[in-house]
Amino acid sequence: MNGFTRRDLLGHMGSGLGVMAMANLLQAEGLLAGDEPKIDPRAPHAARRSHFRPRARNVVVIFCSGALSHVDSFDYKPELIKRHDTPLPGSDGLVTFQGVNGNLQQPLYPFRPRGECGKMTSDLLPHLGDLSDDLCYIHSLHTKTATHGPGENCMSTGFTLEGFPSMGAWATYALGSESDDLPAFVAIPDPRGVPQSSLNNWGSGFLPAAFQGTPFNAAKSVQNLARPPGVTEQEDRATRAFLKALNEGHLQRFEGDTEMAARIASYEMAARMQLSVPEVTDLSAESEHTRKMYGTDDANANKAGFARNCLLARRLIERGVRFVQLFNGAYAMGEGVGNWDGHKQLKKDYDVHGPILDQPAAALIRDLKQRGMLEETLVVLCTEFGRMPTFQENTKGRDHNPKGFTAILAGAGVKAPFTYGSTDEFGWRAQDNPVSVHDFHATILHLLGLDHTRLTYYHNGLQRRLTDVFGEVVEGILS
Amino acid sequence: MGIHLVSWTALLGFALWASPAAGQDEKNVARVNFERDIAPIFAARCIECHGPDKQKEGLRIDRAASAFRGGDSGEPGIVPGDSANSELFRRITANGLDRMPFKGEPLTTGQVALIKRWIDEGASWPEDGSVDSDQSTHWSFQPIGDPSPPQTDPSWGSSPIDAFVLRRLEKEGLRPSPAADRVSLIRRLYLDLHGLLPTPARVEAFIRDRREDAWERLVDEVLASPRHGERWAQHWLDVVQYADSHGFEMNTPRPNAFHYRDWVINAFNADLPYDRFIFEQLAGDTVGVEAATGFLVAGAWDEVKSKDPDATALQRQDELTAMVNTTGTALLGLTLGCARCHNHKFDPVHQRDFYSMTAVFAGVRHGERALHSDRDRLIKQEQKALAEEIAGLRAQLPSLRPGVNSRQNVERFAPVRACSVRMSIHATNSGSEPCIDELEVWSGELNVARTAIPSSSGNYAGDPKHRLEHINDGQFGNPRSWISNEPGGGWVQLDLAEPVRIDRISWGRDLEERFADRTAVGYIIEVAQTPGEWKVVSGSQDRRAPGEPGGSEEAAFGAQDVIARIVAAEKRGQKLKSTPVETVYAGRLEQPGPTHRLYRGDVREKREAVAPDILSALGSLDLATDSPEEQRRVALANGITDPANPLTARVMANRIWHHHFGAGIVSTPGDFGANGAQPSHPELLDWLAGSLMREGWSLKRLHRRILLSDTYRQASGPNPEGLARDAGARLLWRFPPRRLEAEVIRDCILQLSDSLDLTMGGPGFSTFEPNANYVRVYDPKEELGPDEWRRMVYMHKVRMEKAPLFGSFDLPDAGQVCPKRSLSTTAIQALNLFNGAFVLNQARRMATHLEEQALDPIEGAYQRAYGRSPSPRELGAARAFIQEQSLVAFCRAILNSNELVFIP
Repeated sequence: MNGFTRRDLLGHMGSGLGVMAMANLLQAEGLLAGDEPKIDPRAPHAARRSHFRPRARNVVVIFCSGALSHVDSFDYKPELIKRHDTPLPGSDGLVTFQGVNGNLQQPLYPFRPRGECGKMTSDLLPHLGDLSDDLCYIHSLHTKTATHGPGENCMSTGFTLEGFPSMGAWATYALGSESDDLPAFVAIPDPRGVPQSSLNNWGSGFLPAAFQGTPFNAAKSVQNLARPPGVTEQEDRATRAFLKALNEGHLQRFEGDTEMAARIASYEMAARMQLSVPEVTDLSAESEHTRKMYGTDDANANKAGFARNCLLARRLIERGVRFVQLFNGAYAMGEGVGNWDGHKQLKKDYDVHGPILDQPAAALIRDLKQRGMLEETLVVLCTEFGRMPTFQENTKGRDHNPKGFTAILAGAGVKAPFTYGSTDEFGWRAQDNPVSVHDFHATILHLLGLDHTRLTYYHNGLQRRLTDVFGEVVEGILS
Repeated sequence: MGIHLVSWTALLGFALWASPAAGQDEKNVARVNFERDIAPIFAARCIECHGPDKQKEGLRIDRAASAFRGGDSGEPGIVPGDSANSELFRRITANGLDRMPFKGEPLTTGQVALIKRWIDEGASWPEDGSVDSDQSTHWSFQPIGDPSPPQTDPSWGSSPIDAFVLRRLEKEGLRPSPAADRVSLIRRLYLDLHGLLPTPARVEAFIRDRREDAWERLVDEVLASPRHGERWAQHWLDVVQYADSHGFEMNTPRPNAFHYRDWVINAFNADLPYDRFIFEQLAGDTVGVEAATGFLVAGAWDEVKSKDPDATALQRQDELTAMVNTTGTALLGLTLGCARCHNHKFDPVHQRDFYSMTAVFAGVRHGERALHSDRDRLIKQEQKALAEEIAGLRAQLPSLRPGVNSRQNVERFAPVRACSVRMSIHATNSGSEPCIDELEVWSGELNVARTAIPSSSGNYAGDPKHRLEHINDGQFGNPRSWISNEPGGGWVQLDLAEPVRIDRISWGRDLEERFADRTAVGYIIEVAQTPGEWKVVSGSQDRRAPGEPGGSEEAAFGAQDVIARIVAAEKRGQKLKSTPVETVYAGRLEQPGPTHRLYRGDVREKREAVAPDILSALGSLDLATDSPEEQRRVALANGITDPANPLTARVMANRIWHHHFGAGIVSTPGDFGANGAQPSHPELLDWLAGSLMREGWSLKRLHRRILLSDTYRQASGPNPEGLARDAGARLLWRFPPRRLEAEVIRDCILQLSDSLDLTMGGPGFSTFEPNANYVRVYDPKEELGPDEWRRMVYMHKVRMEKAPLFGSFDLPDAGQVCPKRSLSTTAIQALNLFNGAFVLNQARRMATHLEEQALDPIEGAYQRAYGRSPSPRELGAARAFIQEQSLVAFCRAILNSNELVFIP
C-alpha cells in the first residue's frame, strides 16, 4: 500500500472496477471525508478540473527573498517624509528582530507618480512602477514571524514551521499540469543561489513527491537530466528499450497493477523531459528585441542571469507549466549582500539589488501581456515580510517588520490599476483591510478556481490545507 | 433521586414559572438561585446554540459539567467564586465579535449582574448527574480486548492471525491467495526485514531446505541479523523526524545526533522490550542511557534567535509543541498539536492536557550533553585510580617541602652531569601565563645558566620587559623576566655551554617582590645527560600547597624516583583531562519554572499554571506543578507504558504490521483518533497488541508471529476478483507488492555491485560537500567513493534538503513527523536512477564483478538481482542486447528495473 492507495482505488472506480465494494470499505475506514483530487498514479500530472471556473490557468510567483522594504519601493507615506528623524509614535520600548530602533527614516528613493493612474512608486524599481496601470498593489499584508526562514516558509507554505507543502505543490496536486513533457511545478533559483528557506519553498511536505517543485534555471538544468557521460545516444536509447521490455515482461505477472505501470510511464516522461527541458532553457530562439527587453545580455552578470530566468519563466508558462516560482535573492552570501535584507546599509545594498530585479521582472509582465498570456496567467510579486519605517539604532538600515508589507498581483482575474488596503501613516502596521498570508493564499487559489477550504490532504490526523484553518478570499481585488 | 439525572432544561417547565420576579431586585440579599434566576436566562438566550442540539465551539451549557468546563477554547466556562476568570462571564460582557449571545441584543445589565453574582457566590448548580467525562467512546480509547481467533475454514491458515484475516475475507466473499514461491518468499523477507537482497547461495539453500520448519528457521536467522536493526530503525527515525542538522535557514549540522540513531539500531537488534524502549527515550538519563533521549530533540530547531521577547517565547513554545507532537504521534498515535490553541476538535484532548504534556518537557532544551560513553566511563575510572596512585606516592615521601613562593625557590637534587635543564610548568597561581625572572643552574657555587642557550615553548609577545633572553641574564625582577605564551603552562629550557655536574636550581617570579601573580605552582624540573634523554630531578609534587606553612627544603632530597612516578601519573592525568568528553544531541535538562495554559496558544496570554501530566483521558500522573524535572518524564513514560493504556501497544503493533504489509490495520499509523482510519481488522489488532504485552513487549516475537502466518506468506500476484473488490489488498487477499523505499533501492544497488560496506554505527557519511558558510549550503559531492558506500541509514540526513539522487524517492524531509511515507512515481525519479552518475558507476562495478566471478554474467545478474534464473526468452534477449551494447548497459537496465525495486 502507498500514498496513492485511496485515490488509486477511486481511480479504479472511474474505470468501473468494483465501485461499490471499494466505496464500502473506505467508508468503513472512515476516510472518505473531503473531496481530495483524484490522482491516477500513471499520470499524476494529468490536468484535473478545478472546483469552479478558474480565472488563472498558471501562476508565476516572483519571490523577493530577504524582505523587500515596502516603504522604499511601493508604499508611499508622505507622513514618513514629513516626520523624518523623529521618533515613531507608539514605539516606546519597542524591540524588533535585531533590537532597538532609531528615528523614522524617509524613503531612501524618491517617489513619483507613474502610469496613467499616477501611482506613487519609488525610483528603486522604476520599470515595475511604470507598469502600475497593469498592477494590483496590496499594501496591507501582515505575517506571523519576523525571522527569514519561518517567514519564507509562511509565505510559501502557510506555516512558519518546516515540512508543509508549498503553494505550488498544492496547486499542482489540485490541477496537474497542461504540459506532458515538463514538470508541473518549476522553481527557478536566483543565479546567486538559493533563498533562506531553500527547498522548503518548493517542497511537497507530506504531499506525494510527485508534486514537489523541480528546481532549475537558465544556467543550471535539472539534475541528472542529461545522458550520462560515456554513454552514447544509441546505447542510451537501446538501454531504455531493453529496460522497457524487462518491465513489461515483469508486468505480465502483475497484470492490472497500476503502480508498476506507472513506473514504466515515468521513464517515458523522463525521456520526453530530456528533450523538452533543454529546448525550454535554450533562449537562443528568442528575438533580439525580446532579449533586450529582459536584459539577458546585460553587462551586469547577476541582472543578465535573473533576466534569463524571467524569460525562462515565460517559456515555461507558454508550454503549459502550471506553477513557476521565480526567486530574486539568495541567502548564502549573508545579510543583505545577495538579497533584500538591508539591516545596516540599505541604500548601498538596494542600489545593487534594484536593477537586478526591476527591468527583467517588468519585462516578464510586459511580455506576458503583449502575447495575450496575462489574461490566463497570474503574476505575483511578494516577499516574506516588510521593513521598519525607522532605521535601526546606529545603522543606515531597517529591521524586519512582519506587521505590514506590500505584494503585487497582476494578470488573470485581478483588478488593475488597483490599490488595496493600507498601512498606517508611517507604513508600520497594516491598517485598512488587513490581508493575512492565509487570505493571500486563499485568493491565489481562488483565482485558480480552487476553494481553499476544499483543497485538502489527509496527514496525521487532519485534513490539511494550504490555509490551515484560516483565510478569506480578498474579494475586493477580483475583477 | 431520579430527578437529579434530568437535565435542568426539563425542569424549566415549572422552575421558570415558579419564580415570578426572578432576581430582578439587585438589593435582594438572598443568594441567587440557579433554577429560579439563571437557568431561564440560559434557556432563553444560550442553549439554542450551546445545548443538546448544537454545541457551537464545543460548548454545551445545559449541563453543569460541560458548562463549567467550557468550550473548545479551553478556557474554563465557569469558575465558581471567580466571575473575572469565567469565560462565560467574559463573553457576555465583551464587545465586538466576542460578545455573546452572538445573535440578538446583549443580555440586560440586570441579567449580567445576576450571573456575575451567581458565579461569585459559588455558582451553585443543582446536581444534575452530569460528569465532565473524559471517557471517550472512540474505539482506540477502549480497553484492549482479548478476542479469540474465529473458527474459519480449516483448509487455509496456520495461526490466529490467519483466522482473523480469513474471517474478514470470507465476509467480503474473497479467498486468500496460495503460498508464494520460495524465491519470492525469501526476497520478500530479506527486503522487508533487512532492506537487502539475499545472496544467491542463501536463496539456493532455502529452496533446497525440505525440512518442515525451513521457513521458521529462515525467519529466526534473518531476525537475528544486525541488518534487521538497521532497516527497522529507519522506520522509527522517520516518525521522530531524526536528522543530522537543525533545519530552518541556517541548517547547521548536529554532529553528535548519531548516537541516538545508533541507539535505536541497537535497541531493535537487541530486541529491547518496547516498554523499555519508550522509557529510555523519555527518561534514559535516569538509568544511564543518555543517547536514548535524542528522541526528545530529534526534530527541527530554529537556531536564529531574535531580540524580540515575544518572538523568543513563541520559538520556545514551538520547540515544546514539537516534543509533545512527536510523543503523541510516535507513542500514543494521537495528534496533540491541535490542542495548543483549543480543545481538540475530534479527540478527547483538552487544551489543558496539551499544556500538561508541555509541562512534562518544559525542562528539556535543544542541545548536547555528556554521553557518559563506555570510553568516558573508563577515563573517569582511570582518573580516579591515578588520583589514588598520586596520593599513595605522596604518602611515601618522608615529608614535604615548603610551598612555592613567588620570590625565589631552590630545587636540590643528587649531583648529576647535565647538558640541558628544563622547567615545565602546568599550573600557575593566577591561571595566567607563568612568569620567571631568573633561572639559575648551580654547579657548586657557579651559575652555569649564564652561559647557556635558552629556548622555550613560546614567549609572551609585544612587551620588551618579558623576553626569553631575560631568563638567564643575571638580572632579577619583573622588568627583566620571561613569560610564556600559554595560560597556566609552558616550558623553558637551558642548553648548557658544556656538560657539567650540577646539584641545584633556583628560580623565582620576582625577587623584587613587587609581583606575586603568574607564579608556577605546578611544575617539574628535568635534566638531560645526553640530548633528549630527560630525567625528572625535582618538581612541585613534594611541595606543600602555596602559602601553607611548614615544610623543610631538605625534606624530599633523594626522593626523585617517587617524584618521577608522581609526574608520570600526573602527565597521564593531564592527557585524560584534555580528551574531549563525548557528547550526544539528546537535550539539555534543567529544572523548569511553572508552565501555564496559553489562551488560544498565544504566548502573551498566560492562564492558570498546570501540573505536568498525561492526557486526562488516560488517567493522571498526580504530579505537583513544581515536580523535579526528571520525575516528570519518568512518570510520563510509566503512564504511557502502563498495560492499561489502550493506545501504546495497539499503536506499535499496528506500526509493525504497517511496515510488513505496506499498510497498517489502521491505515493512519500516527493517528488513532477520530480523524484517523478505523481498523480494518479490529479484533486482530487487539490480539496482536495483547500478545505484544503478554510476550514481554518483545518486538521480535511479534515480528515472528506475523512472519510465520500464512497471510504473510501468500503470493503477491493479482487476480481479477481481488482487484475488483479490494484493489489495494487492504483485506490481504494477496501480499500487496510495493515499490521499495529510497534506502533499500540504494543499498541493494551497492550490494549488486559488490560495493556495500557493512560497517555499523558511528558518525556516518555525507554525500554533500563540506561547507562552513554561516548558513549552510548543501552541494552534492561530484563523486562518491567507498566512504559513501555504507548503508543509507548512516548517510547524514540534512533536514529539508533532498539527498542527492535518492531524495526524489519520497524520502521524508524531517520537517514534520512521518509515520507513513508517501510512495509516488515520478519522472524525476526515473531521470535520477537512469542518468545519475552513482547508478552508472555501480552498473560498471556490477559488470566488472560479474565478469570476475567467471560465471555467465546474465545468469549471475538474474540470480543476484531477482533470485532466479532467466527464462530462455529472457536469456536470448539479454545476450542479444549485451552483444549489441554492453554488459554495463545491461546492468544499468537491471538496476532500474521494476522486478528489482518492487517487494515481491
